[in-house]
This record gives sequence, C-alpha cells and structure tokens, in this order.
Amino acid sequence: MEIFEKLPDEINHLVSEFSSTPVVGDLSCGITQYSFWLIVSTIVLLIVLTVFKKKQTLVPKGFFVNGFEYIIEYVENDIGKGVVGENWKKHFPFLCSLFLFILINNMIGLIPGMKPGTGAIGSTAALAIFAFVYFIYYGCKAHGVIGYIKSLAPQGVSFPMNVLVWVVELFSTFLRLITLAVRLFCNMFAGHVVMGSFAIMASMFMQPLLQQVSAAHAVGALPSLAWLAILILIYAIELVVGAIQAYVFTVLTAVYVSEAEEVAEEE
Amino acid sequence: MNLSSQKSAIALSASAAALLMPVSAFAEDGAAGADILIPKMAEFIPALIAFLIIWIVLAKVALPGIMKTMEERGKKIEESLDEAEKTKQEAIAKRAESDSIVTDARRQAADIVLEARKDAESERARIIEAAHKEAEEIIAKAHTTVEDERKSIYAGAASSIADLSVAVATKIVGEALEDDAEQKKLIERYIQEAGSLNAD
Repeated sequence: MEIFEKLPDEINHLVSEFSSTPVVGDLSCGITQYSFWLIVSTIVLLIVLTVFKKKQTLVPKGFFVNGFEYIIEYVENDIGKGVVGENWKKHFPFLCSLFLFILINNMIGLIPGMKPGTGAIGSTAALAIFAFVYFIYYGCKAHGVIGYIKSLAPQGVSFPMNVLVWVVELFSTFLRLITLAVRLFCNMFAGHVVMGSFAIMASMFMQPLLQQVSAAHAVGALPSLAWLAILILIYAIELVVGAIQAYVFTVLTAVYVSEAEEVAEEE
Repeated sequence: MNLSSQKSAIALSASAAALLMPVSAFAEDGAAGADILIPKMAEFIPALIAFLIIWIVLAKVALPGIMKTMEERGKKIEESLDEAEKTKQEAIAKRAESDSIVTDARRQAADIVLEARKDAESERARIIEAAHKEAEEIIAKAHTTVEDERKSIYAGAASSIADLSVAVATKIVGEALEDDAEQKKLIERYIQEAGSLNAD
C-alpha cells in the first residue's frame, strides 16, 4: 500500500523531531525543547507545592489536597519506610524531590504538544548524578571514604577472589549512574516514539478522506479508528509508565542509599 | 613516483573509497543513534539547577510544614481515638451504673406497690370489718328498738283489747260485769297467752 511506503520516512522524520534541538543558544550552552519543558514542569511543581501548602489543613479537604498527600504518603511509606528503613526521615526530602520531579516531568510530557523533561539523556543524567553523588556521599559519611571503598567487596571472600569481586562491584557501582539515566530516558523516549508512530498512522489513513469525501476513502480510513484505539491504549499505558519510572528511579536510589548505609552498620 | 608506489596508492585509495562509502553512510546513522545517548550541556545544566531548586524548596520550605501538619493530624487522630475509646468505656460504665440504678428503682417501686397493695388490702379488710361490726350493731340496736316498740305496742294493744272486750261483753250481757277489774285481768292474761303462742 502507498501509505505503508510513506511510513518509514514519516517515522524517521518523527524520530528526528525527538532529537534535541536548541530553542535558545546552542546544544552546549542554551536551552533545548526538552529543557524548556523541564523548566515549565519545575515551575508547575513549584506552583503545585505552593498551592498545596496554602490549602493543606489539619482536616484535608478536596481531591487536590488528598491526592497530593496520598503521593507524599506513598513515597514516605513505600519508599522511605519500606526501602530505606529507620533512617528514612533523613533521606525523605531527597527521595520525595526525585519522585515528584520525575513524575511531574513525565506527566507534563504526556500532554499533546509538550515534551517530557526526562525525555533527554542530559536531564536524566543530571538526576542520576545527583542520586549517585548522594548515595556515595552517605556511604562515605557513614563509613569513611577508605572504608566505603573497601566495603564494596563483600566480606567473607578470600584474598585473590575479593580483589576481583571488588573490581566487579566498583564497575557495577559506576554502572548504576548510567543505568539510572538510560533507563528513565529510554522509557520516556521510546514511549513517545511509539505514541507518535500510532498518531502518524491514524492521521495517514485519515488524510485521503479529509482531502476528498468518498465511500472508498471512508472505507480506507477505517483502520484509523483501530490505530486511534491503540494510541489511546498506549496513552493509558504511558500514564502508568510515567508513574512507574518515577517510582523505579526513586526506589533504586533508595536501595543504593540504604545499601551504602547498611554496609556501614555491619562493621 | 615509481610504479609499485603508484599501484599501492591506487589500491589504498580504492580500498579506502570502498570502505569509506558504507562506513560514512553507517557512521551517519550510528552517529545520529549514538548522539541521542550523549548528554547535552543545554539539557544537563538546566536539569541540574531545576532539580537543585526543587530539592532545596522541598527540604527546607515545603516538606517540614507538610510533614508537621500530617504528623499533627496523625497525633490528633490517635488522641481522638483514645478519647473516643475512653468515652465509650465511661459510657459503658455509666450505662451499667444507670442500669443498676433503674433496676434498683424498679425493684423498690415494685416493693412499694406491693406494700401499698398489702396496706390497702388490710385497710380494706379493716374497713369492711368495721362496717360489718357497725352494721351488726345497728341491726342489733334496731332489733332491740323494734322489740321494745313491739312490746310497747303489744302492751298497749292488749290493754285496748281488754278494755274493748269488757265493753263489748258489758254491751252483750246488758249489765256491767261484776268486778270489772277482775274481768279485765282475765282477758289480758288470755291475750298474753295468745300473743305468746303467736310469738312462738
């Protein structure tokens, strides 16, 4: 079919649209479309926090206050108390910031015409560096720099092997930086590419009908409905993925933090 | 430039051209693909600053207040639940106390009613007995009075009948009976006997 022949070009065009393009300045010093929406998301989050703080009362009222409190309590109970354990209060602000920041960026990105701030590797790398530095800092603080470096190798492993394990663990620790950044970025990027592809397919099948209304074109436009249904389904899945990725990033950071501190407690 | 060096140059350039063409085409795609995975400073720095702002705002300004309110609420709910439990226990105790008071009152009321009924019963019996007694006395007195009356009437009637009889006899006989008084006594005795017979 003619439409399917056009598809690869359209998809390539779509993917090229997803690559970072500077809005102000250039790629090394300026703002890209992703940074723009990241800044917008940050402002939205700040507004949400201000409004929430004003509206929060001893007896919570309304969907907004209850909903936001539910998110905070979820991070507190599920990630803070559930993963970090007894030191959760110390790390809660950082974990909560991570979760809310990623969540708002992912959600803003789902609004048609907007992009997720987390859809660029630069943004997710910044967050991963924060998480990396954070857990290394608390590992070193609880345990001493040398102690923390030594503690990477598990205890109870005999001499030649423990060096090898230490090297592997050191490598895996640094790999966390990359995996955190790439996982979030790829999920957001791929999700939006898939949604974009189905949107293109839905519009391509519809185009002949829009140009000239005829029975043949109407029949030809029928697959559009199927693509549209799939698009809506993927949209719903992306909503869930947006929340899950925020959760995964935060939970993994919490695990790394608790692991770093746990090592210190053992000794 | 000798032949061998010329040959080698051509071979090199040919092989370079042969190699370069697909490589450059592949490199374009590969570079575009890999480029996505290279962080751009234009995205890295704003994200760094934006997250730092959110972290500082949350840690220093927003979260302490939010958490304080939530903790206060938790404490308040706990206190309210404790208070409610205490009040419930107090209410249960008071209910039991009031129940026992009501039971006691009912029992006392029943006792009072019973006693009153007993008193009323005895009073009734006493009144009835007194009434009976009085009635009997009245009846007895009436009997006595009636007897007396009867006796006096009877005595009067007997005297009248005797007088009448003497008068009648005198009239019949045509002359006064001798010794009137003696005749009268006789008649009266007769009447008395007749009355006593009648009375029996």
